[in-house]
Amino acid sequence: MAFSLVQADVEKLDYILRELLIQSESNGCLVCDYSGYVLAQQGVEDQQDPLLISALGAGVFSASRELARLLGEEKFSAVFHQGERKSIFICAVNLDVLLVVIFTNDASVGLVKLYAGPATAAMREVLEEVRLREETVPVPEHTFVLMEEAGGVFSSKP
Amino acid sequence: MAFINYATREIQLKIVYYGCGLCGKTTNLQVIHELLGDDSKGKLTSLATNQDRTLFFDFMPLAAEAIKGFTTKFQMYTVPGQVMYNLTRRLVLKGVDGIVFVADSQWEKMEENVESFNNLAENLSLQGDSVDKTPYVLQYNKQDLPDVAPVNFLEFLLNNRGVRHPSIASSAKTGQGVLETLNLIARLVLNNFVRTQTGKSAAEQRELVLM
Repeated sequence: MAFSLVQADVEKLDYILRELLIQSESNGCLVCDYSGYVLAQQGVEDQQDPLLISALGAGVFSASRELARLLGEEKFSAVFHQGERKSIFICAVNLDVLLVVIFTNDASVGLVKLYAGPATAAMREVLEEVRLREETVPVPEHTFVLMEEAGGVFSSKP
Repeated sequence: MAFINYATREIQLKIVYYGCGLCGKTTNLQVIHELLGDDSKGKLTSLATNQDRTLFFDFMPLAAEAIKGFTTKFQMYTVPGQVMYNLTRRLVLKGVDGIVFVADSQWEKMEENVESFNNLAENLSLQGDSVDKTPYVLQYNKQDLPDVAPVNFLEFLLNNRGVRHPSIASSAKTGQGVLETLNLIARLVLNNFVRTQTGKSAAEQRELVLM
């Protein structure tokens, strides 16, 4: 089993994220799944590793979801961490996917929340198309060939 | 569950190091981080207590050119081994593609090893997976210590399911067996990925393309 995105899916997600960045005046945002895989990202600076942000964001959100259950809540819809200069807002797109938004304190969390709603709704449509395509298209689009590595996939540095 | 991005030509796979507390999971990742070149690895991030016990998880991304035409990214995680962190282990196991079960070879740790393995099987089944259907490697760690169980005993104790799984004797502290374990689980996960995507084994797929 695998979850796959084609060029058209990524372009749609990138467009939604770019619009969100402009409207919410944020610095960066990414979409990831609960396993920590990055599906798309915009504006996440080179010094901020998107893989790391998605792994930690997914961990934080998963932990908060379990906390919600302990408190008798079905879920917490969003997580917000405020820093001195930068803050982060994480919310669920659907059961499997998260939106992570990074913004400086020049922007407002209210603005981020306001525009995150329509952005997540648009992303849900894209992901639903992906899900339907995966259910109805049985043949993979690509032939995967494992490369032969005599020394193994990884080797130690010289 | 693997993730394929055809736009960026990336395949993402998740590998989790599992085992009882202080068995060497974090040490494995630390050694891998030291051994690999900068082009293969990202930063190792550890969410740990002040006493260096893993609290939530360790995380390190690795990259390799393992599948033709794609960059394969391995997301390496460890889980906290202490019994009370079971819920956290379940969260980290979500979407796993391959597991390294690290066993502590010391005689007094045998019961914990078995409990941890049963815990792994239970947590996988709770999320709809099965330990028998998930690629995994057994690593018998701490073989450098003086009073440890021999490998054949550990095989009898832990590798006793219907299908024998690959196992490696190791000493993570000295680096022995660490890279071998990584390469073994990477190969298993990749073979499983190719097989589930194409319905053929990696060897059959290679022959088909060469024809």
